[in-house]
Amino acid sequence: MQLSDRYTGLFLIALGGVAAYGGSRLPPVPGQQIGPNVFPMVVGAGLVLCGALIALGIGRGFEDEAEADLAAHSAPEFEQRQAIGWGRGLMALVPPALLLFYVFAVDRLGFLLTAAVIVLTAAFALGARLRLAVPLALGAPVFVHLVFSKLLRVPLPPGLLPAPW
Amino acid sequence: MSTVTEAFALVLQTDVLLAILLASIYGLVVGSLPGLSATMATALLVPVTFYLSPIAAVATIIAASAMAIFSGDIPGALLRIPGTPASAAYTDEAYAMTRKGQPELALGICVWFSALGGIAGTLSLMILAPPLAEMALSFSTYEYFWLAFLGLMCATLVARSSPVKAIASMLLGLLVSCIGIENPAGTPRFTFGVTDLLGGIEPIPALVGVFAVSEVMRAMLNPEPPKLPYRRFGSILKGQLELTRTYVKPQVRGNTVGIIIGVLPGAGADMAAWVSYSMSKRLSKEPEKFGTGHPEGLIEAGASNNASLASGWVPSLLFGIPGDTITAIAIGVLYMKGLNPGPTLFTERASSMYALYIIFIIANILMIPLGIAMIRVASLVLRAPRASVMPIIVLLCAVGAFATGNNLFAVLTVAAFGVIGYVMERNGYPVAAMVLGIVMGTMVEQNLVTSLIKSDGNILPFFSRPVAAVLAAMTIAALLWPIGVRLRSWRPRSAPSA
Repeated sequence: MQLSDRYTGLFLIALGGVAAYGGSRLPPVPGQQIGPNVFPMVVGAGLVLCGALIALGIGRGFEDEAEADLAAHSAPEFEQRQAIGWGRGLMALVPPALLLFYVFAVDRLGFLLTAAVIVLTAAFALGARLRLAVPLALGAPVFVHLVFSKLLRVPLPPGLLPAPW
Repeated sequence: MSTVTEAFALVLQTDVLLAILLASIYGLVVGSLPGLSATMATALLVPVTFYLSPIAAVATIIAASAMAIFSGDIPGALLRIPGTPASAAYTDEAYAMTRKGQPELALGICVWFSALGGIAGTLSLMILAPPLAEMALSFSTYEYFWLAFLGLMCATLVARSSPVKAIASMLLGLLVSCIGIENPAGTPRFTFGVTDLLGGIEPIPALVGVFAVSEVMRAMLNPEPPKLPYRRFGSILKGQLELTRTYVKPQVRGNTVGIIIGVLPGAGADMAAWVSYSMSKRLSKEPEKFGTGHPEGLIEAGASNNASLASGWVPSLLFGIPGDTITAIAIGVLYMKGLNPGPTLFTERASSMYALYIIFIIANILMIPLGIAMIRVASLVLRAPRASVMPIIVLLCAVGAFATGNNLFAVLTVAAFGVIGYVMERNGYPVAAMVLGIVMGTMVEQNLVTSLIKSDGNILPFFSRPVAAVLAAMTIAALLWPIGVRLRSWRPRSAPSA
């Protein structure tokens, strides 16, 4: 998701403005000038300023220099950012979506099943063959469960499929 | 002397030694995989450290981070892909050596001079920390405010991006740290009525999201890195002693620069490597050889990044101000383990501090045999398809975040910060600056507000105390530095075109 500096700058101005306004509305500590409102207001004002500078394209030259420097130092085929279509760009959302799935499913399905689904989906999304994805989805959850639940005593929910150990 | 024996007794325990060994292997493997940085390796270790004794917990962090910084050099030298950002500065040089048919020499330099640099950094930590601790005892909130602020400014300086964007990232981090009730009045701030937000955003899940999840997100779109051809290596350490003797000056310079950059709050190993490499090139007698597989720059920068790793612990242990993102994690672990950073750590828990030095030395010595073993199996490890590693990382992000507080909200935080980190990175906003903002936000605010209350809203005391004035001057210099650089580089560029 590559946006122009103008958009990100404007977003920062808006965010800073809201933060400063929200901060200024916080109740003060009775009998004191300085309370919880000072810091958000300072930070918000700073964000507005930075956002404005970014939107105006100030400091862009440093970025180009750093990029050129990095490109000169590493393999071109790996660092290159090719244009990616929207459909494929959405693939980037698979990892956070899997984490959301974990949050909402783990108590019902249990750790082992949820983890297996996550590993299987992620492996397929990265282009794994069945031969790799299935053993990975069977093995990794068991291993992680052993380490975290048995050794580190993290209470992982059993759900539908409690671990046999 | 009894403190030293006590310290040895603390370190020479089965659980501590085992923790060092396992964390070293883990750090070596994770650091060598392209895209998985030393910070991420350390962040994913945090939930494990909950369940270890304090010394063992710190030992895992030290060992894993030191190993990961070194092993990031391996794919750099063999594939021209830096395993960690700290290796990026000299990847080209190392790869040029491999192309010349000297991969053993290149990797040997990486492991040998990394270890030496790490030991030099540790010595600096041992020498610098106690006198600074004495000085720090007289610091008040004004000094702490400037120190924390200086750390944040340095973090924006080191980002290899536009300084304006780096400052914006840092401010975003500070804004995130405003969330919750941990503020001067204890009122819920920016919580929008969500109970889970009352406690604020925990730094560790945010860190895991920014560094690990966003990396997996990038992997979804980027092509898989090329496979490493199988290769048999000759002797790795052959010729290193001779190089050590030949390049004494670059080494000393690299170590010194690394140590100085490490001690500066906010600036870490990545910065050290870049500065040292360019310094080496500028001061070398044969600058024309740089980039063609010349060992000099490799030695200097390889030593520098490992030296900065150890000295980065100086501000962390003394003031609780992280030297880089890795020590930002380490500070969290220290607090959890009751080893609260501060100058008194050196007087009251002296044996723990000595134990920490010993662990650093052990880890850096261990780096040589383990590093050589890792180089030999690197072709196997680097052949592991990405589709087998990344899914496990996603799973570990979920479980690790959950384990930090047995709370599913942390997993949501990880997902959210994964997306934030990904979008920021794509648009040139350095995420490390934001992370340091999140970690240090509460501290900056507390010291700012307490100072303002003490001075009744007057800002004069921020500049009138001697140490505060020096720190203020440094901070303002850090803020104005980019403008100065800009003005200087404008002139020569306009000259030839005229």
